[in-house]
Amino acid sequence: MRTLWIFPGQGGQRPGMLKDVPQDLKLKVKELTGMELTDDGVAYQDSIQIQLGILILQLFNVRQLTQIKEKPEVVAGHSLGIFGAAVAAGVLSEDDAIKIVFLRSTKMKEAYPVGYGMGAIVGLTRKEVTALVKQVNAPDIYVSNQNSELQTALSGSLDGINKVLDLAKENGAQKALILKVPNPSHSPLMQSAADALKEAFKTIELHRPTCTYLTNYNGHAVHTVDEIKKDMINNLIYPVYWDTMMSVASELGIDTTVELEPGHAFTRLIHTKFPDLRNITMSEMGIDDTEFLLKKWRKIND
Amino acid sequence: MTKRSWTTNHDAKNSKLENVASMMDGKFVKTENAKELLEDLIAPGDKVVLEGDNQKQASFLSKVLASVDPGKVHDLHMIMSSVSRPEHLDIFETGIASKLDFSFAGPQSTRISQMIADGTMNVGDIHTYLELYARLYVDLIPNVVLVAADKVDRDGNLYTGANTEETPVIVESAAFKDGIVIVQANEIVDEVPRVDIPGDWVDVVVQADQPYQLEPLFTRDPQNITELQILMGMMAIRGIYEKHNVQSVNHGVGFNTAAIELLLPTYGEQLGLKGKIVPNWEVNPTPTLIPAIESGWVKTIHSFGGEVGMENYIAHRPDIFFVGKDGTMRSNRAFGQMAGQYALDMFVGSTLQIDKYGNSSTVTNGRLSGLGGAPNMGSNPTGRRHSTPAWQSLRPDNDPLGKGQKLVVQMVETFGSNKKPVFVDHLDAEEVRKEAKLANVPIMIYSEDTTHIVTEEGIAYLYKTDSMAERQIAIEAVAGVTPVGLRSNPKQLADLRARGIVALPEDIGVHRSEAKRSLLAAQTMDDIVDWSDGLYNPPAKFRSWS
Repeated sequence: MRTLWIFPGQGGQRPGMLKDVPQDLKLKVKELTGMELTDDGVAYQDSIQIQLGILILQLFNVRQLTQIKEKPEVVAGHSLGIFGAAVAAGVLSEDDAIKIVFLRSTKMKEAYPVGYGMGAIVGLTRKEVTALVKQVNAPDIYVSNQNSELQTALSGSLDGINKVLDLAKENGAQKALILKVPNPSHSPLMQSAADALKEAFKTIELHRPTCTYLTNYNGHAVHTVDEIKKDMINNLIYPVYWDTMMSVASELGIDTTVELEPGHAFTRLIHTKFPDLRNITMSEMGIDDTEFLLKKWRKIND
Repeated sequence: MTKRSWTTNHDAKNSKLENVASMMDGKFVKTENAKELLEDLIAPGDKVVLEGDNQKQASFLSKVLASVDPGKVHDLHMIMSSVSRPEHLDIFETGIASKLDFSFAGPQSTRISQMIADGTMNVGDIHTYLELYARLYVDLIPNVVLVAADKVDRDGNLYTGANTEETPVIVESAAFKDGIVIVQANEIVDEVPRVDIPGDWVDVVVQADQPYQLEPLFTRDPQNITELQILMGMMAIRGIYEKHNVQSVNHGVGFNTAAIELLLPTYGEQLGLKGKIVPNWEVNPTPTLIPAIESGWVKTIHSFGGEVGMENYIAHRPDIFFVGKDGTMRSNRAFGQMAGQYALDMFVGSTLQIDKYGNSSTVTNGRLSGLGGAPNMGSNPTGRRHSTPAWQSLRPDNDPLGKGQKLVVQMVETFGSNKKPVFVDHLDAEEVRKEAKLANVPIMIYSEDTTHIVTEEGIAYLYKTDSMAERQIAIEAVAGVTPVGLRSNPKQLADLRARGIVALPEDIGVHRSEAKRSLLAAQTMDDIVDWSDGLYNPPAKFRSWS
């Protein structure tokens, strides 16, 4: 059996999602960042709370999976998710992940406080979306994340993005909407955040990965500290090539996916693309069912 | 002056084999010594053939090769007809290999594109199967070949059975040119059922830890055939198979052709075509052919490879298939491709994109799937001399020296499964050529070789067009509401229909309302098993458990 662990980014957060997360992880956050994670509706209006919340939820899931003696063959994180993925791959420590995500979310908040964000278009190819952006010809619009062949994100100025979304609808897109993301993430506009992360990583000790890591910025399977570090630093200024990452995961021969909390959006995407894979979503199944299924499948397979 | 030696290759091979003599018991090496064996027998820079096609993989030897010390074995020049398994590419990341000549890479098409773009891999060329086999005897003569066998006897004789595939063409290229032939065996036995490769050509045999990987690639569940595909199948039977009196054919992998196979015993029978068309096939033993075989449509089938689950059925139908004295099928991919290129009346396939000129490719959007066998079968062999009615029916009547042509048919729905147009102004393959820095655009079938295009709209008889402009108009006429198709207008269409360059279903007596699932000779896998008299045994993933 070959397993892919999927670490979602922002989007799936919900009040109360941290209720099972052990106290020591929450205390760690307090200690290292001074932030109190309140895990309620108000908190999840704030992207620092969201990012730290999702991170420690995933760190908790990694601990749970480790406890039942599970190891991934391949890890894939989406945006923020790469830090949980790097912890699961043994590259980054829990503490360093918390510090880095705090810095990342703070710097993201500082950059472009108003008038910038992200949009998403469903039903057009990247090539088609790129042509529409050219047609609009306004500053600060970037084609960003590729979640599936026909799901493309835009990052940049909201005025410009809205123009592209209107055009997309006219050109047969099934959906074209503004995302609830307050930053132009995954575009060159986030260079200042990338610079801050570069500086911070100078003093962080990283370890050789124990599994294959899929990079956001170009969808490659990598096995070295340098390449993973590059992804963690530059992730915000490049698109997330999720669709490519999933193609590569499949070519690496994975047969099972485990999506860590929160949510199940990426399980849906990969199930559509590769219906033959077996899928686990921890947010729906919990650790007991996860353990039962993984053990059962391993018995059948090996 | 020292006398020149004319046996340097021979001497080098012998000295390599002497070095590993302590590991060998006759030709046999223990499973656990396989890694050390490869490290001793393969030298840096060697040309190595690793057997692997789209079905059968020398998966034990590929894993062992990926585990060798890159300090000892590096910069290999790999020659592989199909890049299918993860470790086929891992060896380029670790430096064990650096150059690749290949044909097909469908199952690794994303990673291979990345590696070419990154320079991790240096690609010699992307070949059709026949080109690659042919070069094994000219300028890609291997130093070492790694192949797979089902059974090996004590003298090293190989039984490769239904999945003989490429093993003969690979082994011969090494065995008679001082290359080293290394075989992984599923089983070592006292007596092989029959000798597919003589032991005399084999240097080393290793017992594999697991049987070689084998995929049921040509099995299509009839439940997934759509009514649109049934309509197109009916049009093809009427407007092409019948019209051109086609006797010999290859069908590509796909539901369009599976529909045709299942329509012969029903729709074909209604048309009174039984005994008149397609008795001779070059095709893998695809289960959807069983109803046509059982009802007497098919007389002979030669195959490139086997198909999981068809073994027992084939053993009981030796009048149809190529079967040894032992009762099991023998396939041969090289001869199959040769037959497909030179001896067939017609190739029918499908594709992902067709451009406005009629060139087609399955290479799309950053995925370099390679070429494989379709370009051999989907091309007109201009050196061909022998004639058949179908071949002659394409002869231009205004040229005294004119000759016939192979029928090359592309069957596509105008929009793909992603709801994007199949007909495009420019193929994605043009972009991929730039990204991967290829010498040629990876076109699967060239416009000049394409004689017919069938869509849900109608049939374009491209061979009847006498200029590129007219060819484009004919393609537009069957391209539906794609941007290419929208350029067509009613006046042009009427003119093309009047001249027989385009036929709509009604022009050839096909009624859209008759294209129903009930017209298929088998509608489920169970139906196919019934047709086979219980002799076909579908692989687990095709069985229904309801």
